[in-house]
Amino acid sequence: MVHVPKVAVLTGFGINCDHETAAVFNLAGAEAERIHVNHLVSGERSLDEFHIMAVPGGFSFGDHLGSGRLLGNRMRFQLREQLTSFVAAGKPIIGICNGFQVLVKTGLLPGKETPDFEQTASLTLNNSGRYEDRWVSLDFNPDSNCIWTKGIERMEVPVRHGEGKFIVPDSKILDSMDSDGQLVCRYVDPATKPGEGITDEALPFPICPNGSMRNIAGVCDPTGLIFGLMPHPEAIYAQWLHPHFRRFETTPVGRPPSPFSHIIDDDTEIVEASRTARDREAERIEWEGAGMAIFHNAIAYAREHL
Amino acid sequence: MSLSVHRVEVTPRSGDGMVDVRGELIKRSLFNDHNIHVEEVRSILGFLVKADIAADSVKDVVDILFADPIIEIGVCNDEILSDATLFPNRPDAVISIGFKPGVTDNPGTAALDGLKTLHSDIDVHSAVSTTVTYAFHGLDDSIDIEWLAKQLHNPLIERAEVADTRDSTSSFPKLEFPEAPVNEFTPPSTIDLEVDDAELEHISETGILALSLEEMKTIQAHYRDPDIRAARTARGISPNAPTDVELECLAQTWSEHCKHKIFAAHITHTDTETGEKSEVDSLFKTHIMKPTVEMQEEVDWLLSIFHDNSGVIGWNDEWSLCMKVETHNSPSALDPYGGAMTGIVGVNRDILGTGLGARPIANTDIFCFGPPDWQGDLPTNLFHPSRVLAGVHAGIRVGGNESGIPTVNGAIVFDDRYIGKPLVYAGTIGIMPRQLPDGRPTHIKTPAEGDMVYMVGGRVGADGIHGATFSSLELTEESPSSAVQIGDPITQKKMLDMILEARDAGLITCITDNGAGGLSSSIGEMAEYTNGCEIDLSQVPLKQSGLSSWEILVSESQERMTVAVKIDDQSAFEEMAALHEVEATVVGRFTSNGEFHVKHGEMTVASLPLEFLHDGVPQLRLESEWIAPVNEPFIPPSKVDFSEILLELLSRPNIASKETLVRQYDHEVIAQTVVKPFVGKQCDGPGDAGVLAPIHGNPQGFVVSCGLSPRYSDIDAGAMAAAAVDEAVRNAICSGVDPKKMAGCDNYCWPDPIVSEKTPDGKFKLAQLVRANRELERACRGYRVPCISGKDSMKNDYGKGKDKISIPPTLLFSLIGDHPDVRKSITSDFMAPDHQLYLLGESKEELGANEIAYMLTESGRADGIGGEVPRLDDIEANLAMYSSLSEAIHSGVVSSAHDCSEGGVSVALIEMCIGGRLGASVDIENIGDTSIWARLFGESLARIIVAVSPENIDEFEEKMEPHYHTRIGTTTETNRLVISSGNDELIDIDIDIALKAWKSTFCGGDI
Repeated sequence: MVHVPKVAVLTGFGINCDHETAAVFNLAGAEAERIHVNHLVSGERSLDEFHIMAVPGGFSFGDHLGSGRLLGNRMRFQLREQLTSFVAAGKPIIGICNGFQVLVKTGLLPGKETPDFEQTASLTLNNSGRYEDRWVSLDFNPDSNCIWTKGIERMEVPVRHGEGKFIVPDSKILDSMDSDGQLVCRYVDPATKPGEGITDEALPFPICPNGSMRNIAGVCDPTGLIFGLMPHPEAIYAQWLHPHFRRFETTPVGRPPSPFSHIIDDDTEIVEASRTARDREAERIEWEGAGMAIFHNAIAYAREHL
Repeated sequence: MSLSVHRVEVTPRSGDGMVDVRGELIKRSLFNDHNIHVEEVRSILGFLVKADIAADSVKDVVDILFADPIIEIGVCNDEILSDATLFPNRPDAVISIGFKPGVTDNPGTAALDGLKTLHSDIDVHSAVSTTVTYAFHGLDDSIDIEWLAKQLHNPLIERAEVADTRDSTSSFPKLEFPEAPVNEFTPPSTIDLEVDDAELEHISETGILALSLEEMKTIQAHYRDPDIRAARTARGISPNAPTDVELECLAQTWSEHCKHKIFAAHITHTDTETGEKSEVDSLFKTHIMKPTVEMQEEVDWLLSIFHDNSGVIGWNDEWSLCMKVETHNSPSALDPYGGAMTGIVGVNRDILGTGLGARPIANTDIFCFGPPDWQGDLPTNLFHPSRVLAGVHAGIRVGGNESGIPTVNGAIVFDDRYIGKPLVYAGTIGIMPRQLPDGRPTHIKTPAEGDMVYMVGGRVGADGIHGATFSSLELTEESPSSAVQIGDPITQKKMLDMILEARDAGLITCITDNGAGGLSSSIGEMAEYTNGCEIDLSQVPLKQSGLSSWEILVSESQERMTVAVKIDDQSAFEEMAALHEVEATVVGRFTSNGEFHVKHGEMTVASLPLEFLHDGVPQLRLESEWIAPVNEPFIPPSKVDFSEILLELLSRPNIASKETLVRQYDHEVIAQTVVKPFVGKQCDGPGDAGVLAPIHGNPQGFVVSCGLSPRYSDIDAGAMAAAAVDEAVRNAICSGVDPKKMAGCDNYCWPDPIVSEKTPDGKFKLAQLVRANRELERACRGYRVPCISGKDSMKNDYGKGKDKISIPPTLLFSLIGDHPDVRKSITSDFMAPDHQLYLLGESKEELGANEIAYMLTESGRADGIGGEVPRLDDIEANLAMYSSLSEAIHSGVVSSAHDCSEGGVSVALIEMCIGGRLGASVDIENIGDTSIWARLFGESLARIIVAVSPENIDEFEEKMEPHYHTRIGTTTETNRLVISSGNDELIDIDIDIALKAWKSTFCGGDI
């Protein structure tokens, strides 16, 4: 059993959420390493060293020729064996935003029990024609076997993309994905009660920011280990990143700084030392943002299964 | 096998859920911008693949590389438009657009990279060029297709082929691969300077050298010096005359853009109002550098000022922050998209080139444009302001978003005169650890003699030649297109990742970016550290062959850094570059013999003493004369409906919401943005400043804000400068900045202030500059905000004579400051009903050059904008008040705060109502002894509206007791803003109606 899972956070070629994705895995208790795709391609490093893989957001190759296409091809043609054995070993993979696009173009999502690296769905230009940064509400499918989203009902989270419209050639595919629990999270009207927002009817902009079929925001593969979503859960790792954080009733005022004490600088550590570890942990959790649940889930899974 | 060109075409599929978004966007913009209705526009992406592979091999990869098989159909060497199953109806018109030869084609570069993933052994000369084709269905017969094509492309960098296909016999357009003409290498020549003055001027003008006669004569004198001649003879280079390489190098280094000659000038200043006559030895040294150096004595956090690519402050014990703001005005005028993009990615490199390398973590952008709804004439060669806005916005968006740097703060200002030259300010904040693992402080460069000089990143091309000298001239119809470039954010991102890794590994001893002046500037500046360098131009990787020596030396091709590495570290450095697929080439080494020595292979093509190169430029001697401008006084109309006036103000481009534009910038990447550009209940109220917590898990943050009020220059450029500083400080205070640790950045954009035939009013414009500098100094000293970096752009004019357009003198003041705990930050939106409202600061009779004065004057309801302009009077009192407010914010007793700027108290209040979706009831009788107009709409400085919840009133009032503050009302549950003065109700406005007015100008009423 692994206590501190090792996470490969891919970097290079215009991936640009690698720093925060790695930092958030670390805050959740993993040991994340930013690793250049070419280190894996050259064989100098191997995915075998890791328990979890993350493909972060960004603009790999500038989204030219379609978002995720060129990085997807590099993975499809240059990392095929490593990815196959990583999946075969039952290790979790997450793709966020551009990472989701990469996993879809690679054919790992929606995917098959055993990856065949054939693309079956796509993520394309938003109906608005615009790249946008805005906050959305997601409801999660409670019946999904996705290991990343256990126990999550609703999450408010930012989307930042121009190509987030999830599309498949035939809506029957969505029926079968739905019955398999692969439609993991959907954009929902924030006015609905958490857990009651999911609908197959097209929701208007900006509730559904891109015109995705059935308001799909994220999907998993049939095993529930590979998960991709357009919104950015790492961007709400702390409550202070929520646009309404000071409107939350529980927002405490006048508390001492440094909630995440285990990564702060030494000087503050001395001050912190006078407080008990329990207090620190309590404060860390109090200021933890909703997005952390996703990372905690994967780490818990790795601890239990790998 | 030779290279052949294959044509791949890709078009979106139709069917359930499929939309041709590119076509839709064209259809929408034709309707929005020109009121032209087209039934349908369909798009086809084209890839001209030049490679040594057979057609079948290209065909095999169409669905793997070029087309997304789920949503697109791709063909190879077939005409997709002729496919009747895909295009059953013949379009009425077809327009194909592609790049001109030599223009950066990012999708093409990416496609080639993708092709190499699939065919690793293709010929090194392979290339891909991209095109886009639009097919128009249901196009009205009256539309001229050539005109239509002009709306869709920029002929400076793009080519278009059109076909009127209503006639069934005409064929569809087919762009060929854009083959660059073969450049012939021209060996270096010498230029005879033993000529008369007229000929010297002629040499400067025809060569776009932008050197004055005095400067030409200084250069002439240099080559007459017997010692120089002897040294040159020994070096084996023309002893008596400069080579073209030397002259170009001097022109770049001595350009206004690089040397800031006006700010360094000796000025004799006369003030006709006061009778003052005085001498200024360099505005920069006197009013910007000296105050900062003196403030450096008082604090321990000013780590590096003025001499580096950006100024550095110690933020906490472990991290330092740096900031730089650049302007990219001339390139943005010629190609708004490429100009703005190279502006933002260029200033990112300034940060990367600071100290031993800093990571850019936040961008700011501030634009000044002509009115987007301009109906008047446009000078030749200039774009309509709405097209400039759209292009600049897209360039900043792509440059920032693709680089993974959030755009956190900005502003857009409109005035007719910016039609002549749009201003595009692009700023970046960087972060670096204060110390590297090897113990070196990061803000100090450590090059040594013998270190090798690498050029890293992109290659050198014919693009970007003469950017520095060109921007030192006014725009004309003949402005050169070679000064325009398109950025390549991905090449730069790869380079940035690699360089920061090399920094942390201790491999870098010195670094600077290649911006204006190219290698001549970057290596030339770095050579000052060791007192010498030797460059071999034959080693420089080129985009196209045949560039002459001087072109290689001065080309400003983008995405390049110059990095110095110790000989022992070369292999580690090169391995790192290879991993990241970044080109890194040794092009020279540092010496200590005082010489800037440039070779091309074995031949010496330039040998300039560093001292002459950097310090040889003669100081300008200029005269300035202040005569206060006469403006028709602003006398507001007597009978008006103030509610209507407020609604009208809200829809003014200078005040209206720019949310649709701003949301297209990623403002949250890096997961650090606490206060975002739009705030409040529906995330659509205006934010005063950006607040960021860049260290994940740690709530210490910093604030980014800005201020500018260019129209105050119409009365007094001094007041304009002071207002800019106050606005930046006030915005930062509203978010909870620590006023003890704030640093500023001054960016001057001025019309040419040197008297000449073209500029008969140069003395006045220079006097405006003197006044602005004096007030900048006074404001910065008063608020204890040292300027840590800055820039000036001094030739913002278009044309000559009576058609000349000069921008209003504009100072942008940008600010960063410490925020001790982002969890305490507050925003402008009202939080709850029954909060007490206060106005801090006094409202004065200062309506001159206010937005209200312009609005009423432009529409003929007032005769002029003259009068008292807002003044920054008692800075000490303001600072004391700001400090108390900051304390109150951090002790948690303030719920909302918003600064009063354009449109004054009434606009600030309605914005706070919009953010909170709450009403307010306000009495402005006691906020100042002034007219109702001044109290409602006046823009007096140093004023902030604050909301306080009932339980905190006592504590708040105690803190504010020493300061000018007025209790003005409460927030209410109603959806109305009601403003009265005593018993007179002045304004009663529904928040939803106000919201619509505020949003409809730029957001199409889409709320």
